[in-house]
Amino acid sequence: MSSLNASLAIALSGLTAEQRALEATTNNVANVNTPGYSRQVPNLVSSDPVVIDPLTLGTGVTLESITSVRDPILESSIQQESQTQGQLGAQVSALQQTQVNFTTSTSDIGTEITNFFNSINQLSASPADLSVRQGVLTAADNLAASFNSTANNLTQQQTSLDQNVVETVGQINQLSQQIAQLNGKISQLQGAGESAGSFVDQRQQAIDQLSSLVDVSVIPSNNTLTLTTANGTPLVMGTQSFQLQTQANAAGLHEVYAQGVDITSQITSGSLGGTLQVRDQQIPGIESQLDTLAAGLANEVNGVQAAGYDLNGTAGTNLFNPPPAGGTGAAASLSVAITDPALIAASSDGTSGSNGNAEKMYALSSQTGINGQTPTDYYSGVVFNVGNDVANATAEQSASTQVLQQLNDQRASISGVSLDQEAANMVQYQNAYAASAQVVTTINTMMYDVLQMNVLNG
Amino acid sequence: MRVNPNPLPDLLAALEQTQQQINTDLQQISSGQSVTVPSDNPGAAAALVQNAAQTSTADQFLRSIGSVQGEVASADSTLSSVTTALQRAISLGVEAANGTLNASDRAAIATEVQGIQTQLVSLANLSYQGSYVFAGTATQTVPYALDPTSASGVTYAGNSNTNSITLGNDFTLQTNVPGSQLFSAAGSDVFQSIQDLLTGLQTGTGIAAAVGEVNSAANYLDAQRVFYGNAENQLTAQQTYLNSDTTALAQQQNTLGGADLATAISNLTSEETAHQATLAAVAGANQPNLFSYLK
Repeated sequence: MSSLNASLAIALSGLTAEQRALEATTNNVANVNTPGYSRQVPNLVSSDPVVIDPLTLGTGVTLESITSVRDPILESSIQQESQTQGQLGAQVSALQQTQVNFTTSTSDIGTEITNFFNSINQLSASPADLSVRQGVLTAADNLAASFNSTANNLTQQQTSLDQNVVETVGQINQLSQQIAQLNGKISQLQGAGESAGSFVDQRQQAIDQLSSLVDVSVIPSNNTLTLTTANGTPLVMGTQSFQLQTQANAAGLHEVYAQGVDITSQITSGSLGGTLQVRDQQIPGIESQLDTLAAGLANEVNGVQAAGYDLNGTAGTNLFNPPPAGGTGAAASLSVAITDPALIAASSDGTSGSNGNAEKMYALSSQTGINGQTPTDYYSGVVFNVGNDVANATAEQSASTQVLQQLNDQRASISGVSLDQEAANMVQYQNAYAASAQVVTTINTMMYDVLQMNVLNG
Repeated sequence: MRVNPNPLPDLLAALEQTQQQINTDLQQISSGQSVTVPSDNPGAAAALVQNAAQTSTADQFLRSIGSVQGEVASADSTLSSVTTALQRAISLGVEAANGTLNASDRAAIATEVQGIQTQLVSLANLSYQGSYVFAGTATQTVPYALDPTSASGVTYAGNSNTNSITLGNDFTLQTNVPGSQLFSAAGSDVFQSIQDLLTGLQTGTGIAAAVGEVNSAANYLDAQRVFYGNAENQLTAQQTYLNSDTTALAQQQNTLGGADLATAISNLTSEETAHQATLAAVAGANQPNLFSYLK
């Protein structure tokens, strides 16, 4: 209806809309440092016009909605990269600890192997000398100790990684619950046709954190979303979260279960994936290589002992206690079987001065008897493999960090709060508010003028 | 086009990176090593394992060479004394073969030759660091003993086996000659010849023949001594080779794992400059925004 009141209503709608728009701006400014916050943009829409023949007249402005500015494809890319980063981060930090066992020192396995063969060469020069023979026993003891301590360190690391697994599963469960709750709040608001703004931001933060822990797949559906692991195990469906369990297996290491199904081998990404990979594949791989080396050496040396004669002319017995059949655990259990130096079988003809068998034992250092390699070559291969794994993972991690940084920069450029922009908006809304207020004042004056009109003067 | 309104996290990440690089450079400079863990350079780390093994092995070979050199030198000088004693026996025999001597003169010479026989047994029983050098491999039993019941006047309790020792990659050396080969070889038996000389002196016949026997035994022994001369030469040559090998290995170790100080220091300087520049950028990132200018 065309009248002063109509104009007043239109001016009022302007005041209300600009005031609400200012609230959105103020909210943005307040949240400038909130992690994961997406800036909110007020959508001002012209109100539906009315038709009063022959004119179509506007009815003012409405704040239709306040939308958060975010790019869902970018969010999804960031999630993916977070998973990769989490996995590589866990791998690098674990393997860096592992490789310390393989740095050259005075008692690493490689050095002790060489020391052992050196003591045999000394024996070859003085086969009947008891103190030289004792030197061989001491070198053998040191070699066994070196294998034992490296194997122990690897097992201990597995145990601490295992604890890590249990803790991470706990964190995953917490985040699933959080996301489920947020899902509830979001679908309530969105179901009522309102924007869920900061709840969506919080949920996205939680999903990002979860992505760095385990591989997740996001499937959005009506006003809510479903989260599963990459192979389909559900974690969150709507407002329901599915908790993961851990259970110790026969070796004392915890496996991950979802609703009674063992999904451990299917978790390949996130820090949980990285930790499991190191615990279940890479460390056992190294342990197995060490077992091969220890068992190979022990069996070779024992074989040569048996072929010769000790200081008393008796046939030689085992120098090392025989390793377990199949080799598993050989490194951890390697030990010297004799304590009497006279029992070292240096002699090849039964006399106490013969060094023929000591020479055969020395020849083991250059024979390719450990999987087609000499003992030292085999060990240097292990060192290379461990170092290479760490170096590769570190390089990949650094590349992933770069990518993630770029993606985050992109997200910030789209969703980040720019104080300059908010200040400009604030000035804009303030001016519009002032203008609308001035309109109200003018209409008020006009109404007064109307009242002042003395038309019905009788 | 919007830009990232908050560059601080990126700048802080860059600061961390330059700081880490500075730490690595400092560690390299202070330790002198560029490879401290295998991941620093996996190929070099593996090669360093080999290098360390080869160096330690070469050092051991040098030690063993020292032991063998001592025994060989001792054996060689003893054999020199044996030769001297045999020459004395020969000149005594030649004197006695001169038909002008009587029984009591011959008896006096026989006594001296007997003394030489005893001396020879003692020399043949040379012991070096607790082992009998000329006993073959039965080095814990006395090889020779005077035995009046034996045709050669002595019995040999050693054997005829030899020892060899590895003193380098693909280098083994025989380290002993058994007494059975040196002193009791069939046809050139030192002890048999001395015993025959004694018998000749005591009976008065066959002295000249016995002297010839001692002479040929002495020549044979001289030929056998060549073994020890050769051994000494080979040991010295191997020693020289191993010494130059360890020098080469030390250089290789430095190439593989040593820190290039010049490069590390210049890297450190440029990293520190970058770090300071980033710090200044972070400090300046507190730019005023539009809010500061609204009154």
